[in-house]
Amino acid sequence: MTPPEAPVAHPNPTDGAAAHPDFPHRRDFAPPERARGGFLKRYLAIFRASLKERMTYRGDFLLGTVLRFLPMITTILLWQAIYVGSKQNTLATFTYNEMIAYLLLTNISRMFSSMPGLAGGIAREIREGTMKRYMIQPIDMIGYLLLYRVAHKITYIIMSFLPYLLLFFLCRSFFDGFPDWTTLGAFAVSLLLSFLIGFFFEASVGMVGFWFLEVTSLLYIVMTLNFFISGHMLPLDLLPWPWAGFLKALPFQYMAYFPAAVFLGKVKGAELIWYLVGELFWAVFFMALARSLYRMGLRRYSAFGG
Amino acid sequence: MGALKPLARYFRLFGSLASYTLKRELAFRGNLLVKISVEVLWLAILVAFFRTVFARTSTIAGWDEPRYFFFVGCFFAMNGLIEMLFLDNCNEFAELVRTGDLDGLLLKPIDEQFLITCRRIDWGTAPNILMGTLVMAIALVQMHWQFDLERVLSFLITFVCGTAIAYSFMLLLTSISVWMVRNQSLMEMWWLFSSVARYPREIFTGPWAKPLGAFFTYFLPILIVVNVPANAMVRALDRGSVALTLVATVVLLWLSRRFFQRALRSYRSASS
Repeated sequence: MTPPEAPVAHPNPTDGAAAHPDFPHRRDFAPPERARGGFLKRYLAIFRASLKERMTYRGDFLLGTVLRFLPMITTILLWQAIYVGSKQNTLATFTYNEMIAYLLLTNISRMFSSMPGLAGGIAREIREGTMKRYMIQPIDMIGYLLLYRVAHKITYIIMSFLPYLLLFFLCRSFFDGFPDWTTLGAFAVSLLLSFLIGFFFEASVGMVGFWFLEVTSLLYIVMTLNFFISGHMLPLDLLPWPWAGFLKALPFQYMAYFPAAVFLGKVKGAELIWYLVGELFWAVFFMALARSLYRMGLRRYSAFGG
Repeated sequence: MGALKPLARYFRLFGSLASYTLKRELAFRGNLLVKISVEVLWLAILVAFFRTVFARTSTIAGWDEPRYFFFVGCFFAMNGLIEMLFLDNCNEFAELVRTGDLDGLLLKPIDEQFLITCRRIDWGTAPNILMGTLVMAIALVQMHWQFDLERVLSFLITFVCGTAIAYSFMLLLTSISVWMVRNQSLMEMWWLFSSVARYPREIFTGPWAKPLGAFFTYFLPILIVVNVPANAMVRALDRGSVALTLVATVVLLWLSRRFFQRALRSYRSASS
């Protein structure tokens, strides 16, 4: 999403000089590769400005982060009641402790893979014609949005680090110690790839706006469905046959289920490598899809309004 | 008779606003259909989730499957009613404050609270009331429920009271936007509240959860919103809880109105 306060081409270079140190270089519209060090400087500027924008409402943001923990309490209590009711220690290979740990970890997965406002923002830029700014400036739209999102994610992770640290400390009894370094490494890789899948998947949905002016409704359906089929509500293993196997073949499991399952050691050895390769495949697939849709969409784009 | 006249005027006004928003929604029928589809999908997900859970357990905190689904239906219907009548309006309030567009509404010769919180009906969530009712009806059939007038009346009264309590909380949260212009997180607080109301009170057991359950029952009584009507209909009819719900409704409606009026007095127009 590109909110109104996001860094855009400023009509008066002096006004925007602080936020856009590379602005004077844009006069000649040189391609990014030709400007000496311009490429890195340009994207660093985007990153810095996005970081500042995110910090503007830090009080509001921090409050939201803290409040987000409260539904976790009700989730913990619900699953406690489910395990007590079932009179069993294990449900679909998950003990009660593992189940709570899983649900806590899916919040980390979603922290990386969720992209609020991205698809809607792209569709709006198409609809309102403001997308043409990427065509007249030496900035690649997908690259810009990616950096913008990276900055937001980093701020979010930094600001929610302490509340999450507190939460995981309070819930440490649900975890059976720290996993080994290999598992931790695989977990980190799965999170980074889940970020890429989430970003390029939502970007692809947003690009549909080139063909259908209004994608909000489509987005609602996709996101609502994604909430369940990504394993955010419960581990996919709990679903009856053939749903669990079917959903694990889709890319959505990488947005919540897979990183959490990796951390808990539910996926190991050759299976882990196989699934990581699968995650990489989906990340590349959606990257190519978003890029292709963008390219095809630009051919149809009329730049009305703006 | 004198007091009924303004009330009738507000009913007429509400009818006109409802009719206007329905016509507006029907101008974009496709969009309305998709909105309804999302709600159907969400209910399907909830049903799939609890069907999966009940495949592995027979009860959740003492609620068997049909009774639990009655609870889910009750929550879904009430949430649909709240979303249909108030959520969009309250959500927009922060933007009205930020842009200064609230001025125009305050100048109208109508009660400000009515105009701000009831002027738009979100017809896209109206079918949720029907869908929730359907889930409740199926649950009643599955458990061979015997008709009991006292239970039905208690259910209907506490259902209306629960809606009023939820509205009061929403109004309290909305009013804060006057001081904290951007209230994105405050609306999230509403979702937090609705997430507390989403589960049976009996899940709040244990050394730290029990006091928390008591806090959300007696101090911030959001936990009684769905629990009391659902319990009255399909489990033990506790007259004490019904009385508590009635008292909480009156107190919260009064308190939220006073708070809202206090917030409006602090409002300073932002526009030129």
